[in-house]
Amino acid sequence: MGPRSRETWAQRLGAFRASPSAFMAGPEGEDLGCDLLSELRSEKLSEQTKVSLLALSLEYPAQLWPDTAAAEAAATSLLDTLVLLPPRPSALRRPLLLAATTALAAGDALGPTSAASLRLLPLLLGLASGSDLGRGFGPASEQRSLQATACECLRELESCKPGLLGGRLGLLRGLLGQEGPVQPLSLLLALALRNALLIQARARAGLQGLLVAGDAPAVGIPWNWALAEEGAAHLQPQAPGWPAAEVQECGLAVLEPSPEEARELRAAVAQLLDTSYLLTPVAQAQLLWLLGWALRGLRGQPPVLFKPQLVRLLGTAQLTLLHAILALKAAFGEALFTAQDEALLLRRLTLAAQHPALPLSAHLFYLHCLLSFPENWPLGPTGEEAAPLLLGPRLCRGLLPSLLHDPMALLARLHLLCLLCADDEEKEEKAQDWSPQHYLEELLAGLRQRAALDGGPRALATLCFQASYLVVRCLAMQPAVLTPLTRGLAQLYQSRPALAPHFVDLLDRVGPELGEPLRVVLRQEVVARPGKDEALCWHLQILAKVADGNAQSATLGFLRAAAARCTDWDLQQALLQVCRALLRAGVGKGLADLLQALARQLEDPDGRDRARLYYILLAHLAGPKLGVALGPSLAAPAASSLVAENQGFAAALMVQEAPAPIRLSVGPRRAEGPVPVLQLQVEVLEPVYSLELRFRVEGQLYAPLEAVHVPCLYPGRPCRPLLLPLQPRRPAPTHLDVRALYTTPSGLTRHAHLPPLLVTFADLFLPFPQSPEGDKQGFFEELWDSCLPKGAESSLWCPLGPQGLEALVSHHLEPFVVVAQPPTSYHVAIHLPPNSRLLLRLEAAQVDGVPVALRTDDWAVLPLAGDYLRGLSATV
Amino acid sequence: MAQRAVWLISHEPGAPLGGTVRFSRRYPTVEKRAKVFNGASYMPIPEDGPFMKALLFELRLLDDDKDFIESRDSCSHINKTSVYGLLIGGGELWPVVAFLKNNMIYACVPLVEQTLSPHPPLISISGISQGFELLFGIQDFLYLGQKHDTEINTKLNQLPDLLLQACPFGTLLDANLQNSLDSINFASVTHPQKQPAWKVGTYKGKPQVSISITEKVKSMQYDKQDIADTWQVVGAVTCKCDLEGIMPNVTISLSLPTNGSPLQDILVHPCVTSLDSAILTSSSIDAMDDSAFSGPYKFPFTPPLESFNLCYYTSQVPVPPILGFYQMKEEEIKVKITVNLKLHESVKNNFEFCEAHIPFYNRGPITHVESKVSFGQLEVFREKSLLIWIIGQKFPKSMEISLSGTVTFGAKSHEKQPFDEICIGGTAYLKLHFKILDYTLTGCYADQHSVQVFASGKPKISTYRKLISSDYYIWNSKAPAPVVTYGNLSLQDNF
Repeated sequence: MGPRSRETWAQRLGAFRASPSAFMAGPEGEDLGCDLLSELRSEKLSEQTKVSLLALSLEYPAQLWPDTAAAEAAATSLLDTLVLLPPRPSALRRPLLLAATTALAAGDALGPTSAASLRLLPLLLGLASGSDLGRGFGPASEQRSLQATACECLRELESCKPGLLGGRLGLLRGLLGQEGPVQPLSLLLALALRNALLIQARARAGLQGLLVAGDAPAVGIPWNWALAEEGAAHLQPQAPGWPAAEVQECGLAVLEPSPEEARELRAAVAQLLDTSYLLTPVAQAQLLWLLGWALRGLRGQPPVLFKPQLVRLLGTAQLTLLHAILALKAAFGEALFTAQDEALLLRRLTLAAQHPALPLSAHLFYLHCLLSFPENWPLGPTGEEAAPLLLGPRLCRGLLPSLLHDPMALLARLHLLCLLCADDEEKEEKAQDWSPQHYLEELLAGLRQRAALDGGPRALATLCFQASYLVVRCLAMQPAVLTPLTRGLAQLYQSRPALAPHFVDLLDRVGPELGEPLRVVLRQEVVARPGKDEALCWHLQILAKVADGNAQSATLGFLRAAAARCTDWDLQQALLQVCRALLRAGVGKGLADLLQALARQLEDPDGRDRARLYYILLAHLAGPKLGVALGPSLAAPAASSLVAENQGFAAALMVQEAPAPIRLSVGPRRAEGPVPVLQLQVEVLEPVYSLELRFRVEGQLYAPLEAVHVPCLYPGRPCRPLLLPLQPRRPAPTHLDVRALYTTPSGLTRHAHLPPLLVTFADLFLPFPQSPEGDKQGFFEELWDSCLPKGAESSLWCPLGPQGLEALVSHHLEPFVVVAQPPTSYHVAIHLPPNSRLLLRLEAAQVDGVPVALRTDDWAVLPLAGDYLRGLSATV
Repeated sequence: MAQRAVWLISHEPGAPLGGTVRFSRRYPTVEKRAKVFNGASYMPIPEDGPFMKALLFELRLLDDDKDFIESRDSCSHINKTSVYGLLIGGGELWPVVAFLKNNMIYACVPLVEQTLSPHPPLISISGISQGFELLFGIQDFLYLGQKHDTEINTKLNQLPDLLLQACPFGTLLDANLQNSLDSINFASVTHPQKQPAWKVGTYKGKPQVSISITEKVKSMQYDKQDIADTWQVVGAVTCKCDLEGIMPNVTISLSLPTNGSPLQDILVHPCVTSLDSAILTSSSIDAMDDSAFSGPYKFPFTPPLESFNLCYYTSQVPVPPILGFYQMKEEEIKVKITVNLKLHESVKNNFEFCEAHIPFYNRGPITHVESKVSFGQLEVFREKSLLIWIIGQKFPKSMEISLSGTVTFGAKSHEKQPFDEICIGGTAYLKLHFKILDYTLTGCYADQHSVQVFASGKPKISTYRKLISSDYYIWNSKAPAPVVTYGNLSLQDNF
């Protein structure tokens, strides 16, 4: 695109500023950064226009040059433009330096590999040193201002990359001693010093002579990035801004300079402080913050160096200076401020917090400082606002709130008053002449009176409720305060029901100390004084909040009377909202009548439907479940209460899957009866009601299993075993898939998938029903013979443990033994449902094992039986 | 210690957006640091439009307070300082330092060098006071001496260049923007060493020192048994020192006559080099007794080039200069009023002007007035529902004057008559406006001979004094007055 005129640039810049994101997304956005750089060298544009282009680049480098490479290129281009300027005075040099610095720092390009950085840094340092850089850098008259600018640029680079100037501390000190501009050099040195100390302390290194003044302006010497590389870790979120934050954490305490280093450091700090009166007040404050930060916790550096400055600064009204003194106070505590100094500082702060010559914002900030005052010996927990010990009621008299104050001042002062009241309560003997509680009561009454004004601005009502909330928060344990407050609020509602949303909000936020009594009086207020029609919607809003199981008949009476006046949708919904609250509170009989009446009588079908729904819920759901069904939905707030309610229903009435609080295991076998029965043992982690366990077997191995029902289970309370009869279609082990369906204590129905249960081969064993008393041997032989030829026969060696055959049999096969000749011979007959048999002959046991002969009428059983017997020996 | 961004927004009630961004400036290098320091709690600086909208909402400057809005009106949403959190696009921008003055909103966002959640206490953030100072500086620059919109527009146009000078990278170098303006113009002057940063260049010309003491007296009078009247004097000493040399030293002593009221709560300009501890500790917090330090109050200082406020003080004078009562009774659409004013004999009876303004709030326009004044003349501003009793230059010999009358009002129209939240029903006041030249209520004066100047040449020293009223209220004694009272507690605040 060709060169643009001043006007088109003005338009373009205006469009950009109006919405940078929209502009950059538009057709012109892409080229803006390039155009800007090239137009800076155009001879057609005036310097003023170019300055405005540079001003834009100072504010929006990230939009103009979005990545590091672009930022680097832009900085290079800006530096080229600077070098090419003719040697006459120009308004562009300063903004060009600022813009190049901004581009590098904001574009993350600053670093040892960036060519632009390696050009800019020596240039800045040369300018800051006041060296003669040749005619290209303008006439001598501009040098002083460029020197200051270069210092500012270096300071910004040091801020963004701490440690950058760590290697140049000596040079900076030297410059400050010479005729350099005091303020820019002081601030630069102080910042570089602080950063260097911090980095060295982290690295547990000394100052290593960094401070020793060197006078050679370091043009030409390669830049030392070592400290900056270490410093990269310093620009971290944990870096505490407030010097009082744990000294150990930032590691300064470990830096123990050598005596020479300490002397050098002291000399440098003294040099900075001695000339600090030449700095503007805001710069003085910065210097104090930086030096306080640098020296705290540093051994061998007594903070008395600061003392001469304090006396001078305590008398001022300058916000930054008093704030800096407080920072020093926090950093050094008693080492710098005696108890008397602390008292004086508090007095000055108290005075400043109300001085008529200072603006409101300053008053409020000083009040905040009073309540966060860094005391030498704080009593309370840190981090909470509290009145300092030395700030007695006397000092506070001038800081009491009055109705004539601005809302913020009133609240700030009210907070202080509340803290006084809390203190006053603790004191045994109270001051006779003045009671903060009484004062507080009158103030709150005044606030309520103003909030009660019909048609008054909402801000007044808000202020009244904010004050009440603040009082409750600070003085929740003082009935002497809460009782009149509750009464007063009830009166306020009586005179201005339109404040109902504020009451609801207050009830939502205060604890039961005020919440409970306030609910009661508000309910009484509403129910007893139905009032005019306009107030009805507010009354219903309040009732929906405060209605509970108490005073049912009065509440229902009010609702019945109100129903006739609820002619529009809003009112009907508000009315039903109250019914909903009553439903939740478990109000029954009278409510059912009311809901039935509403379901018939309401004009709006929406209202009728909702009333009917409530009636059905009331008639069909038990108390706890109803409460949950109507409870607040956990989902995001919905646009309408009905939707929210539906979400509540969905949550309550739908069966949701959940991790089971149930543990199921198979207990000891009971080999008896006609079918195998699993004894299940259940443990629960929380109360479970109406538990239904459903079992399913893969394939057709077993007949479908009946569900098992348990009315309730409690954790830690033993439960008799649950019996699960199995109906195998084939004698085979299997896994049972188990699902649990149950109700939680809050009334929700849940289902859960439990780990599968293993039905082993042995679980299916049953004894033969009627082994005749007489000829057991004969019975066994008969069975034995009947197996063949249809079945199968096998024999195997079953190893025995030290306890021998007797123990093995009694452990595993006892119920099935037909003929026993302990300890060496057993005949075992096992019935395997539905109709298979397994017969074992364990005879002639030896010390280490027994030969087992087995027969079965079902060949499929043979491998299972083999596995079982081998398994037995393994368990022995 | 730095600012991430600064804005000036003019508040325009009734306009579609409620305001216009008149100036904004962002500091991307500071923003870079904010991103690192704030970590996960970092919230980028929004564009001007969304910022203005959120700020106006938070400051309750949008005309939509009809409905309860939780994020603004909730009782737990308590602001006790001029530092706000703005909800923008689902996140919170904090801390936003902002205040409204002369329909202009001044706002900035200081850098916080740690995580923002939970909010660290404001006292621990160095950028907060720097932010206030920057905004106060801009406000002083725009409004000191300026009243016309065109002048303010001119100054607004100068702001970008000035901030480039005074706050190039977001770290404030000088809150005195006029200084920065001068330094742009003075750029060619070569500076000798040890030039203070707050003094651009040096003065060349006839040496002269001018000292003027302005006392403002405020009062709340109730004419009631159970409420004590209160009054307070606030003084400001303004100096302009035209002296040659880089660092001339000057000492000014303020003196009191034998029966003068001691100066208290003294705040000095940062150029004051040392301060007597008696000055530092004399405070209105303490009970007054004869042992109170009563001067002379010495202020040694090195003056800046421009006119500056050397110090501020307060004082508790034994009696208010004018004591009065105001009685107003409502009778349907009429009110009956009686006013009595008495000038104290010790006060100089030579006013530049003296008026009593009697406003009637939350009523319709005045339709009829019947009145009788013992002195001066009564002017009626019907539409404004205001009476002004012009007393003039002198009280009569008796020192006592009175006014009585009946005022009738028309129907109240809501649009024209703004709601006043204090003056409801019988609660009403009259406000005195007066000015006396060459006089202070405390008696405080700067003796020309006690001014010491250590500079070349003998300067011409001129001193001025004046007393002006400020917030001088006399409340209707026939109705409740808006004050919380208990015992001998006194209300000593600015209204």
